[in-house]
Amino acid sequence: MQKWMYAIPALLLISPMPVQAKEHYDVYSYDRWSEPVPSQAGYTAVRAVTGEDLGIGAFSEPSDLFMDEGGRLWIADTGNDRIVRTDAGLQTADVLNSFCMPDGSETHLSAPEGIYVSKETGLIYIADSGNSRVLICDDAQVQIILTKPDSVLFSQDLNFQPQKVLADKAGNVYVVLSNITTGAAMFSPEGEFMGYYGANAVQSTPKIAMKRFRSLLSTEEMRSSQSRTVPSGITNLDADAEGFLYTCSASVSQTQDTVKKVNPAGDNLFTSLHTVWGDQQPVYDITTRRQYQPMISDIDIAEDGSINCLDRTTGRVFQYNKEGELLFIFGSLSEQLGGFREVTALESFGTQVYVADDRKHSVTIFEETDFGALVHEATACNTAGNDDDALELWYAALQYDGNYRPAFLGISAGLLIQGDYREAMRYAKLADSSYYYDRAFSCYRREWMKIHGGEMLAAVLVLIVAGFLLHLYRTHRKERTT
Amino acid sequence: MMELTTLQWVKHTVTHPFVGFEDMRWKKSGSFRLASVILLLWFIAAVLYERAYGFQFKAVPDRVFNIVHYFVQTVVVFLTWVIGNWSVCTLLDGEGTLRRIYIYSAYALVPYIASRYLETFLSHILIRDEVVFLEGVRLIGICWSALLLVSAMKAVHQYSIGRTVLAMLLTVAAMAVMLFLMVLVLAIFQQMAMFLYAIYTEIAYRIQV
Repeated sequence: MQKWMYAIPALLLISPMPVQAKEHYDVYSYDRWSEPVPSQAGYTAVRAVTGEDLGIGAFSEPSDLFMDEGGRLWIADTGNDRIVRTDAGLQTADVLNSFCMPDGSETHLSAPEGIYVSKETGLIYIADSGNSRVLICDDAQVQIILTKPDSVLFSQDLNFQPQKVLADKAGNVYVVLSNITTGAAMFSPEGEFMGYYGANAVQSTPKIAMKRFRSLLSTEEMRSSQSRTVPSGITNLDADAEGFLYTCSASVSQTQDTVKKVNPAGDNLFTSLHTVWGDQQPVYDITTRRQYQPMISDIDIAEDGSINCLDRTTGRVFQYNKEGELLFIFGSLSEQLGGFREVTALESFGTQVYVADDRKHSVTIFEETDFGALVHEATACNTAGNDDDALELWYAALQYDGNYRPAFLGISAGLLIQGDYREAMRYAKLADSSYYYDRAFSCYRREWMKIHGGEMLAAVLVLIVAGFLLHLYRTHRKERTT
Repeated sequence: MMELTTLQWVKHTVTHPFVGFEDMRWKKSGSFRLASVILLLWFIAAVLYERAYGFQFKAVPDRVFNIVHYFVQTVVVFLTWVIGNWSVCTLLDGEGTLRRIYIYSAYALVPYIASRYLETFLSHILIRDEVVFLEGVRLIGICWSALLLVSAMKAVHQYSIGRTVLAMLLTVAAMAVMLFLMVLVLAIFQQMAMFLYAIYTEIAYRIQV
């Protein structure tokens, strides 16, 4: 063997190795027909962080995550009655578990399930579930305490069980309560109860319809003894950069509108989408002989508007773009890195996604792969109106996964803007998208008519004249024979 | 009077919904072969309607294509209609023979089949905003054929209009019964086949061992 040939493996070794996606589970996506198809990983797990790693003792059932502007992760460490705040690189952490009340006394947390830090004011919002209250604090000094509202809108028989908490830009506080089905409780910045927001509607099923029909026939007395139909409550919420609130609902009975984008009037803006949130086909478990349906238990809106949904049933994260188009699916139920036992919370920051597991007592960090970065960049270019660049990036994405539907759609849209209608139609067809095809075809037809319109008109005229002449000839011949 | 070729009879019956079929019965015309060709054209139209429709209106998964499906939807349904109608109308003093019911029914379907071809063609040059034209073509085709079918059944059995409608409704019921029985028989035969195959494998295994 020649001496220089030894250099080849060495060269391969020193060449920069990108993040290689070698997942221990099957990476898949869904095609137009809701069939699972193999795909490339958009995210790969790089590290699992435990409490020991951070030097503060093991986590116990972490149930909420929040990432602030500075890249510090806040963890609601429910089982340990504390809030953990890491540093920017998730190397060390400090613990918040006692706070100074407005009257000067000291108070301790009990099973906090929700954490939020306001970008505008820096206030810390803690859903202190064990103590039935929400604390709004400025560092260790409690500013406002939200407890059971003394309002006719809030049934006084019920406990106040805050689970998740969020504040909007104006400082209004939204609290998800575990035993309320009428939406998130809304409080003013001063801590006054204002009502509910983002309630789910009762999904009409045959059972519900039957019940409604029966109540038509029954008397007032019979009706009062019937069980009431209530919608399922929301499970979690998040806000995007524009201030829209997104809710998700993990419920056995609710299969529609599990993810909603709620406008200030309380309407769901996602009703016109046909997106199926979570797995599009029911997962059948052979060992337990049960069919599982997705339970979207946490939602996170990334800076670029992508929607990350966490499915508790399968331990998977489903990432959608702003329009509800499925981008990536990652995570699984397993013991390896990147697998979970029971996921509870999800958070994203930059190129990373964090998932908390309350049975593994850890937080797993996912980093986007080259493919994931490419797709995100292309989406960002599309959003910015930078369509030429987006087109190039989508072509590059196809090199990774030649079956990747968002890429075909992106190319079709890009070519349409460039004016290559014929190719736009071809890519729309490859993406199985009638809608994109229709857009490209209507432009193509207009162009075609500009060029061939005159010829078409001439041809029609010729046909009419020919038909008329033929008719004349026939009648003439008939007259002659008779 | 009314010395028309086979094709001219089709044209006459289709364009004269109220007297066309009476005329045809009076002249004892109507071609079995042409009726079969119409049936074949219907089958082709059904396949094209599903598979060759404009992509901007309908995206069909390429992975699954089963031609039996379309055959059942057209030819089998048509034959069931003919047999069902004959069975019902024999009991209801209808004058139609099996052959005539077949021919008249097929002729009555011509506008519907034509509308299917026209719609499939138009779906390639129209866009989604103009879908109303396709719906128009579809509606006209269906209504025209429905009218012709009533007229055809009325003529072939020499019924009053009320009796015709009644007979047609009963025919639909008869079709449902027949299709149900067909499915049942198929299922039984399948079970039989599986049973015989099980016996065969058992015996083959015993002989080997």
